[in-house]
Amino acid sequence: MESKMNDMNNKGMFGLEEKLSSMLKPVMPDPVFMGKLKTRLAKTPAILIEKSKRRMGVIVVGAGLFAGALTVWIISKLKKR
Amino acid sequence: MHESEVVDITDQNAVALACGGNPEAFSFLYEKNVTRIYNYIYYRIGSASDAEDITSRVFYRAFGHINTYVDKGVPFSAWLYRIAHNLIANWHRDNLRRKEVPLEDHLDLPHKADQPERMLEKNQELILLMKAIRRISADRQQLILLKYLEDLSNAEIAQIMGRSEGAIKSLYHRALIALREEMERIGYKSD
Repeated sequence: MESKMNDMNNKGMFGLEEKLSSMLKPVMPDPVFMGKLKTRLAKTPAILIEKSKRRMGVIVVGAGLFAGALTVWIISKLKKR
Repeated sequence: MHESEVVDITDQNAVALACGGNPEAFSFLYEKNVTRIYNYIYYRIGSASDAEDITSRVFYRAFGHINTYVDKGVPFSAWLYRIAHNLIANWHRDNLRRKEVPLEDHLDLPHKADQPERMLEKNQELILLMKAIRRISADRQQLILLKYLEDLSNAEIAQIMGRSEGAIKSLYHRALIALREEMERIGYKSD
């Protein structure tokens, strides 16, 4: 009984697999879109530079904060004297 | 021109060259992968214009982070699929409250050689099938599309999805069951 049900199940699965195989076909993207994107990507070396700028910004802000904290600490030390 | 700098780009060295900042190598990788990434996105979301938009973002993101790419021996496309997968998830999240766009408005006609009536029937079938596919979980959708659109083996899919081959086999079986249930739910007969 169980094997019969498994058999029916497998047959149903096989039908579904056949259906998927026959229906799901790759589509071609618009060649104009592909060409434009390729050109845009080729003209965009700035993305990597942008990242280093951000990193530089973090370093500058971090250094500023550190310098500020150091100044406050030095001033508080001087006031204590 | 420095002849020593000219290197032939091949499947083997393209990723390493692209990681080193060679734009021609990235173009090479783009050419090799753009159609498959577009197809994956297109079948996941059902809209050609959005698929173009997300495909662009995938490659921009990949291009922007290529210097951080670590070659772990899996195909480069696995990385692109992962980016696409994440962007699709964002797209679904952003579109959650928007009105769902009918798939038939956007589906291209892959069966152009058929007779018009048969074409229409096939397209209706495809719309229902896609509707059912889009109702199953994201990882199951990914597996079905990689298997049938890309014609990839379980081993290749396992590499892309970062799972074992056994896990893929089991996921595939569950995906078929879930898909059949969804098809029944929307009144589509698979046989």
